[in-house]
Amino acid sequence: MLDFSALEPPTLHSLPSSVEPHLFAAPSFQLPAVADLDGFQKAAVQMVKPAKGTTTLAFVFKHGVIVAADSRASMGNYISSQSVKKILEINPYLLGTMAGGAADCQFWQRNLGTRCRLHELANKRRISVTGASKLLANTLYSYRGMGLSMGTMIAGWDETGPGLYYVDSEGGRVKGTRFSVGSGSTYAYGVLDTGFNWDMSIDEAVELARRAIYHATFRDGASGGVVSVYYVGPAGWKKMSGDDVGELHYSYYPVQEAPAEAEMGEA
Amino acid sequence: MSITSYNGSALIAMVGKDCFAIASDRRLGVNFQTIACDFQRIFKIHDTLYIGLSGLATDVQTMHQRLQFRHKLYQLREERNMRPETFASLVSAILYEKRFGPYFCEPIIAGLNEDGTPFICTTDLIGAKQLSKDFVVSGTASESLYGACESMYKPDLGPDELFEVISQALLSSVDRDCISGWGGIVHVV
Repeated sequence: MLDFSALEPPTLHSLPSSVEPHLFAAPSFQLPAVADLDGFQKAAVQMVKPAKGTTTLAFVFKHGVIVAADSRASMGNYISSQSVKKILEINPYLLGTMAGGAADCQFWQRNLGTRCRLHELANKRRISVTGASKLLANTLYSYRGMGLSMGTMIAGWDETGPGLYYVDSEGGRVKGTRFSVGSGSTYAYGVLDTGFNWDMSIDEAVELARRAIYHATFRDGASGGVVSVYYVGPAGWKKMSGDDVGELHYSYYPVQEAPAEAEMGEA
Repeated sequence: MSITSYNGSALIAMVGKDCFAIASDRRLGVNFQTIACDFQRIFKIHDTLYIGLSGLATDVQTMHQRLQFRHKLYQLREERNMRPETFASLVSAILYEKRFGPYFCEPIIAGLNEDGTPFICTTDLIGAKQLSKDFVVSGTASESLYGACESMYKPDLGPDELFEVISQALLSSVDRDCISGWGGIVHVV
């Protein structure tokens, strides 16, 4: 574990670490007591690798940030769930998306929520999106190579306006205005890039995100279920819609009545 | 990914009262990417004999062409249509010819005998025939399909009810499989 105590922001009231020390320290995990730790770690990494079957996207536009995702979890070819929450509510003004290992995303983003709240209490002001994403990225960097699998986007609104960062389990962290993550991301980019306009209204942006995820679920077998779209504005995030992709398909492409090839006659 | 789950498929055939139904999904994919939603897997051999082929799409098409060729020759020589059992033996023989370099497809054959009784059977990719009195399934979602058919099937269903049962079994199974679905087609004879 790397030592980042020097990077902790100087605080007015530094609480003694005797008070609830476990809240401040990053969670420490026991390593498995096996003879060949490296081999075991390699096998563990391979086990989680196939994940990332999903489509998530986020983009910044004039009025804020839109975050959207599908809801399918697949284990190989088997669909294990069609109702996974892939947009995680870290706090009322910060959202995180889930791609990769579900457990990893849920745990570390909840941990991020805890540390953001501690920052608020220690500094009497909300943490910035830059700060929140850096906290997460630093945590993930210290577990680099151990088999965590996460490709997450941190989106929020702070004093500088809308913020969007992509953070992954390799330790990467990039600021940007448009991201899509997951096996269906290329299909979503196609629709998103073509239809994007900085001056869109909120409704237009929500519809663009919904359409992009829908198209990704159509082409990608590992994405499906329900499209959730969230909007992050000055007052925090708001869930805008949750639509089943099967129903969206028929609303975008209504069935043309084809002439019946053979009528079913009476026996 | 395994070669039989490269394209994705789901097929069911069920027996009813003096009728049969055969259904398939319509998706053609390459691993996780969907290419088409109107791929034909069920082929008519003659008015009361249908074959459905699951597995690798290229082998589905090649098997269909070879079987259609053999049946047309049979029609010319014998001046009648093939009986379902005979056709099943033909399918089995053609598959076993390629025992050491098989076609990666698993057919299901459904037809009506001359006396009107329905006949269904399936074979594995090298031709082992398996007759059944109630239903047969094939494809990447086969485990799901077996479960759905087992719980939804009842003997001696009429054509309308058989259509409902086979459709619901197919739809609920492909909803749990990433690589099959995107439509369905049912033939009731």
